[in-house]
Amino acid sequence: MKEKGCSVTTSYKAGIPAGTLVTGKWRGSRYLIERRLGQGANGVVYLVQQAGTRNLYALKMGYDTFDLQSEINVLKALQRQGKPNAAEERDLSYLVEVDDFSYADKEIPFYVMRYVKGEPLSKFLARRGSQWLDVAGLNLLGQLAILHKGGWVFGDLKPDNVLVSTYGDVELIDYGGVSQHGRSVKQFTEWYDRGFWNAGGRTADAAYDWFSFAVVCIHMMAESKLKAAARQLPQTRSTADLIQIIEQEPRLKSYSGWLKKAISGSFKNTEEAYDTWKRMISRTPARKSVRRTPGWLKGAFAISLFLLVCAIYLTLR
Amino acid sequence: MKQILLITDGCSNVGQSPVMTASLARQEGITVNVIGIVDYGTIGELGSLEIREIAKAGGGMSRISGTEQLAQTMQMVTRKTVVQTIQQAVNRELKQILGKTSVEDLPPDKRSEVVEVMDELTETTPLDIVLLIDASASMKPKLAAVEEAIRDLMISLGAREGRSRVAVFHFPGRHGGEEAVLDQVWTEDLSGLRSLFQRLPVRGATPTGPAILKVIDFFRYGTINGNQTGPEERDEREGMLGDYVV
Repeated sequence: MKEKGCSVTTSYKAGIPAGTLVTGKWRGSRYLIERRLGQGANGVVYLVQQAGTRNLYALKMGYDTFDLQSEINVLKALQRQGKPNAAEERDLSYLVEVDDFSYADKEIPFYVMRYVKGEPLSKFLARRGSQWLDVAGLNLLGQLAILHKGGWVFGDLKPDNVLVSTYGDVELIDYGGVSQHGRSVKQFTEWYDRGFWNAGGRTADAAYDWFSFAVVCIHMMAESKLKAAARQLPQTRSTADLIQIIEQEPRLKSYSGWLKKAISGSFKNTEEAYDTWKRMISRTPARKSVRRTPGWLKGAFAISLFLLVCAIYLTLR
Repeated sequence: MKQILLITDGCSNVGQSPVMTASLARQEGITVNVIGIVDYGTIGELGSLEIREIAKAGGGMSRISGTEQLAQTMQMVTRKTVVQTIQQAVNRELKQILGKTSVEDLPPDKRSEVVEVMDELTETTPLDIVLLIDASASMKPKLAAVEEAIRDLMISLGAREGRSRVAVFHFPGRHGGEEAVLDQVWTEDLSGLRSLFQRLPVRGATPTGPAILKVIDFFRYGTINGNQTGPEERDEREGMLGDYVV
């Protein structure tokens, strides 16, 4: 459900201009808005600089106090869970602070988080080549495995919510759709939604994220086919359409076994999904046969070997 | 928690004012939400004004939506209304306990605890929704989309931890005296159902007001004939809220 918030909040939905100084009502921290980074279902995210320092952060302003606080609660819970596991240092500093900001006679709730550089999955793959899905996909599954282990389900998994850095490291952004395992999925986007494909309910479980992940892969490799399948009458839409795309699209061929399992939800858990993906991508690629050595090169090698033997013979003689 | 979700594409033209009957519904503890559905052109100045007014009087919210976004809009409106109803109850409690008027007035760390409770309630509170569908002549081509959106809404409601039931009415009926027709009694699952709207009218009248009255009766007595089927009680919920917030 994308559109959120009441009409009263539209005045700042349009955006707060760069250069605005955001001062927290409760804690008094000050942040200078540099530019708009993006928009989620619960609010708009800005790149900000902490006043008086050179630290960059991402600051999310919510449309609605309840929705934003609910998202913050999830982040807090994730942070608490992350603590015992000191190796996972990146998750510790995710949430920086929470406060309110008065703007145009309104109180806008906001929170500040670590700023992650990267680009959305689709852009990343377009720039680096689709074979990078191997790595990005693996890292994404790794992130999901951590989340699922803590009893959470990401929910609104889509290419825009996956931020990839230069070498394929993955960061999930927009935790607005994260739901507790067993509850209803808070936010979803139709293409990646299990209910949309008549493939199951909207109860948050790990399989819900696997399904979305699989559709994300299909989207990345066969967008037009997915688009056509999604346009069908709702009653006839089914996972059979997705399976058909997987089997027809050559670029999805090497992933097909994994994707089918994800769509039918038949992994034991996300670790297994992760391991299966890992095994799949580390197989010697059958995609491109190894280039055969051309005949002339063999001849040249034989000649040079012969010359070498001659040279040695002449020297030692 | 009780809600009416009215889906219409124009102005009422028969019987009591729907704004008045929506206000009656609100007094009965039923929130009235309205979705104005448009595909080509606009819904008209008068129509959109009425939609806003009905929702205001019914304590709910109104949205204008095309058939494409209908499913999304219905779910958003439903969820938001649940949250709002809980928010109102929580705010009442807050006022009593702390003298603060709303969740927004709390400092962020306190707010976090309250919202956690509200999240819990949003997910678990039993929910009864009557979908009241305008099936007058102009709505006919949109009914397939409406039905699809209802099924999609059911998928989402079915995922909640709390019990969620839906009943479906359309209006007007086939003949003059019939303001609204019950298509589907309380159900938690629509998947077995083949088609929602069978007895469709040939009339062009739009008796929105009387139709709302009929739905209020349905909420009150469980059926339109007046046979009681005990609905769950409000006091229970209020008590639960009290427990949580303290």
